[in-house]
Amino acid sequence: MKISNCILPALLLVGCAPALRAQESPYFVTYDHHLEEPRNLEVDTSATIGSPGASQSAFIAPYMELEYGVKAWWTSELYIEGQSTPGDSTAFTGWRFENRFRPLFREHRINPVLYFEYENINEASRIFKEIVGNTGDTGEPVAELSKIRAHELETKLILSSDVHNWNFAENFIVEKNLSENEGFEFGYALGLSRPLATMASGENCRFCRENFAAGLEMYGGLGSTLSFGLHNTTHYLAPVLSWQVSENASIRFSPAVRLTDIGSPVLFRIGYSYEVRGFGRKVAHLFGGKG
Amino acid sequence: MKASTIVLSTIAALFLASIVAAQNQQSKSDPKWVAPADAAAKKNPLAGNTDALAGGKKLFMRHCAECHNEDGSGLQDAANLQLPEVQKQTDGSIFWKITNGNVKAGMPPFARLSDTERWQIVSFVRTLKEEPTGSGK
Repeated sequence: MKISNCILPALLLVGCAPALRAQESPYFVTYDHHLEEPRNLEVDTSATIGSPGASQSAFIAPYMELEYGVKAWWTSELYIEGQSTPGDSTAFTGWRFENRFRPLFREHRINPVLYFEYENINEASRIFKEIVGNTGDTGEPVAELSKIRAHELETKLILSSDVHNWNFAENFIVEKNLSENEGFEFGYALGLSRPLATMASGENCRFCRENFAAGLEMYGGLGSTLSFGLHNTTHYLAPVLSWQVSENASIRFSPAVRLTDIGSPVLFRIGYSYEVRGFGRKVAHLFGGKG
Repeated sequence: MKASTIVLSTIAALFLASIVAAQNQQSKSDPKWVAPADAAAKKNPLAGNTDALAGGKKLFMRHCAECHNEDGSGLQDAANLQLPEVQKQTDGSIFWKITNGNVKAGMPPFARLSDTERWQIVSFVRTLKEEPTGSGK
């Protein structure tokens, strides 16, 4: 493995700084209807680690997200990602740009959010931010997979409800690879979560229950227009836990257990996010805007 | 120059422009932003609870002070919470506004906080008082 190939994943991992708000969603894959607060920037460094299976190699796929609250009804996000397979190689696997829009301006029993994403990635991508279609690891070397570009458009319908301090979220995913004739691929993600305490104490405690939220996610593919259904699809069940380690920083962890025969048996996910409050105000000052 | 470089540069420029453009808003009261009568009639279950008030202050500093300022006096496009037109509203009305926000005007909904936490913030908002303008001397 070239030393230069190690730099990107190392930077992405080292970039982790301390932060999570207790009310921050603990989900890794599922989206709820709560958008980033306007003018705040959240820097998130995460990694998906796949355990080896019958035909799968172990891997680590670090990624960094920059999430910005453009408006109270519009959140924009940029991802960069990489992947490293022990005994094989390391590669930059591309970038994604996503936008989430909230069409209804009040809280309802069910709150929809519309999600649009453009992905410029390659086939070595393993962050599994969503699972769609009929998925499977071909076992090809990372160097070969990273040569196969994939320009993809992805949309999601996000439905989410807050009921008695529980959050329930359902995501329905449609993805189209513009580089290959794979038809439209479908997937889903479901999540439920709750903070461990619902009343804030006056103290700045680090280990009190109010700083933790726990939940469960389930996600997987639903085939494509070429082969719709559960045949040859991957599904995971994943407990999730988040911990607000400081006023601006949080850590999330999730072991996802495979429910079917395809894919890595276990995906470990870990993430660290840091919220820069008033980022837009500070940038606007630099460019002469009204802070 | 590669097409992907052009696309990425364009996205970065749009992103930066959206940040600057999003700032130019001014605070003004929204006459249509009124809590429904049943929501406005709700009582604060934590009224008079000093422990809840302390937590409410912490939550306010974390979630609200960025726009409303630490003393609630408001920054640029956010309301001054010390003003009588805010303080005369019922606890239920303030709770409803924290829950739903005024998304069009830039105030996000805070339904992600628990009911208890939102009532804690209401308790703290009640403590925000306008400083006397004169010394009285």
